[in-house]
Amino acid sequence: MKKRLAILLFYVLLLAAWQGVFSAGLLPKYAWPSPLMVAEKLRELAADGILWPSVKATLLRMFLGFGISALIGLTFGMLMGTNSFIYQALRSLFLGLQTLPSVAWVPISLLIFGLKDEGIYFVIIMSSVSAVAISAADGICNIPPLYLRAAQTLGTPWHAMGYRVILPAALPSLVTGIKLGWTLGWHGAVAAELIKSSIGLGFLLHMGRELNDVSQVIGIMLVTIFIGLLVDRFVFGKIEHRIRRQWGLVSS
Amino acid sequence: MTANAPAEKDSRLSLVAVSKVFRTDSQEVEALHSINLDVRDGEFVVVVGESGCGKTTLLNLVAGLDRPTAGRITSGGCPVAGPGRDRMMMFQEPALFPWLNVIENVTFGLHYLYHLSAAERRERARFYLDMVQLSPFEKARIHELSGGMKQRVALARALAPDPEVILFDEPFGSLDALTRERFYAQLQDVFARTRRTGVFVTHNVREAACLGDRVIVLTSRPGRIRTIVPIPLPRPRDFYDPEVSKLASHILGELRGRGGAAE
Repeated sequence: MKKRLAILLFYVLLLAAWQGVFSAGLLPKYAWPSPLMVAEKLRELAADGILWPSVKATLLRMFLGFGISALIGLTFGMLMGTNSFIYQALRSLFLGLQTLPSVAWVPISLLIFGLKDEGIYFVIIMSSVSAVAISAADGICNIPPLYLRAAQTLGTPWHAMGYRVILPAALPSLVTGIKLGWTLGWHGAVAAELIKSSIGLGFLLHMGRELNDVSQVIGIMLVTIFIGLLVDRFVFGKIEHRIRRQWGLVSS
Repeated sequence: MTANAPAEKDSRLSLVAVSKVFRTDSQEVEALHSINLDVRDGEFVVVVGESGCGKTTLLNLVAGLDRPTAGRITSGGCPVAGPGRDRMMMFQEPALFPWLNVIENVTFGLHYLYHLSAAERRERARFYLDMVQLSPFEKARIHELSGGMKQRVALARALAPDPEVILFDEPFGSLDALTRERFYAQLQDVFARTRRTGVFVTHNVREAACLGDRVIVLTSRPGRIRTIVPIPLPRPRDFYDPEVSKLASHILGELRGRGGAAE
């Protein structure tokens, strides 16, 4: 309770500082709006029926794009987890790709797909697939061999090892990988929309800059943070915590 | 009962001239040398030896997790070609699956017994959980159990598929003394009730004298059968019974004596 109060106090102070900079006129108005101006702009965007369709568009792209990415990543991860040659070869490749910022996939996506929506899916997939694949592969490689031997003596045929032992045993790291992949994919989605879309959170950011409307830019940034956190904490975070508690990896 | 005269048909387990050589790039290590052993139905055989004498290797061969370099192993007259439901194994670690709760761990080995319905599997798992006195914990998560309870779940899991033979690879090594001693009584009780055959590997001579109908003493590097000590004491046996102690020191003498571990 005390901790929550402290966090609340911190954000109140942060807002006050924001307002303070505005009131003192340290920065020009076109670059530094007040919190109220941002709130008013968001209300306006919502009332005009612009905000929600944009949020929905970005989320839908993420569900489809990241869904495909997770499937591809898990498949590669499983291949890597079962064969040490594939593991070594692909791990170095994926680690390399992971160092690339999401937005660096946008130019190549423009060249391949033009302004079509497929390009956004491409950026989402390329930004997130490495993280999912690496976590899945590491999760499988770190399964104690004893589990496999025990399952073997208990009559589990080889073809059933995958879903009876390997997948459930690697589940905690699979979920961690998917959670990380989601965040990276989210970065990619907004980055791609910024440049090549007519709807979505990234597009609203772009529009805000075009219109020199700093309230919209900051407002959409806040919405992007908020939704990213919401999915991270309340969807994947909850699933992750639940699994870790069942396994006894955290105290409940 | 001696080690020779392999009467493969009458015995539950039979090992004939079994050897195992491990090859690495630079060297060959003979872990087991020409082991002959017959285990009768319902018999509890304990294999003792120092660390590295190949006793775990012997167990892995019988379990079908590894193949002998030479010789043959039969279980119930059939050659051992891999793991089978007639031979269940308990490991040094409980090896329970943390993604399943207690009863799901016990039913794990029943999954491919297609003649059993889900309800029958549960019923059977409950029967064995009751036998190891863990009925109240069937819904518990694995990490909520103590070390001794985990090994009891592992025992129930090994019993559930109705194997003829249960193989034990030093299953009490990581338990504290009190828990371990309680387990000896429980294990004897379970085997008296279920009439299963047991092969138990340990380096603890007192444990061997307390649990075994016969104790196989292995030499080290390569592992050979030095001698077989019959334990003609009535059951259930107490770990601190003076007769058990006497036989334990006899086994220890055999283990150390006549040249000892040549190192």
